[in-house]
Amino acid sequence: MAWGEDNELVARAVSSQDTRAFGELIRRHQSHVRNFLRKLSGDISAADDLAQDCFMHAWNKLHTFSGRGSFIGWLLKIAYTTFLQSKRKSKRYAEILEQVGHVSVAESRTHSVQADEVGDLDKFLAVLSEEERAIMVMSYACGLSHREISEATSMPVGSVKSVIFRGKEKIRTSFDIKDHQHG
Amino acid sequence: MTSKIINMAERIKDEQDRLLESMFESAPIADDGFSGQLVRRIRRKLWVRRITLPMAALLGGLVAFQPMVSLLKGVYGLLSSMPGDLVPSLSGSLPSLQLIVTGALILFVTLFSLNMLED
Repeated sequence: MAWGEDNELVARAVSSQDTRAFGELIRRHQSHVRNFLRKLSGDISAADDLAQDCFMHAWNKLHTFSGRGSFIGWLLKIAYTTFLQSKRKSKRYAEILEQVGHVSVAESRTHSVQADEVGDLDKFLAVLSEEERAIMVMSYACGLSHREISEATSMPVGSVKSVIFRGKEKIRTSFDIKDHQHG
Repeated sequence: MTSKIINMAERIKDEQDRLLESMFESAPIADDGFSGQLVRRIRRKLWVRRITLPMAALLGGLVAFQPMVSLLKGVYGLLSSMPGDLVPSLSGSLPSLQLIVTGALILFVTLFSLNMLED
């Protein structure tokens, strides 16, 4: 079956609760969403769980998609919100565990990539704050425009640009970029 | 015009931008049943939502059936024991208890079927 544009699929999914149309939307965008969440959380299985939650939220909120921006931009906004909510939850959970005298497990889950698996990108991401990481990933990994990032993060376009500039500066000062370029 | 200028400015990438793009670039993740699993989860959720209200109505109806019958019997008995001149028009037009219960059941089954068909 030939599927149309994203907006057409959204319309079909909303008007007739067409799960096949939504399935096609998931197939098209799952890679971007999962990659985005993997880079943000640094944990593959946690990121995939978050991606599932993200698509479930997207299904529930599909009628709110206006079609003015890109669908992937809208999805990444939900993915980012889902990530932040999960982060808040695990932080609260860690605080409760600390209060009752347990060792925090939430901290150890974040960026649990094994030391030998740490690549250049992980090193780059490690010097960035969470917000900078999200925006840099949206910009450089997902190819979103500044305006789309601004919609996804609910930040003014100017702030998005300065966060990207700050992130680039941090990477530039923390690493010798030229070394990577030539070797 | 302004948005065009902004878009142009966005497109002008320096060497570091290009390098970062290549660093951030990652291989596409294979679906491997991810979308199928999600679609099944959504269908299950939809099915549960569709079935919940009719099932609750059915269970409620079953629970309420016996007290309803007793209540109707009581009302019917009360009306029959009243003097005829007190309720002259009502006593003649009252349908039998069996008819009321059958009618209510038919109405319920129709509404239930319509709801299922609509979904």
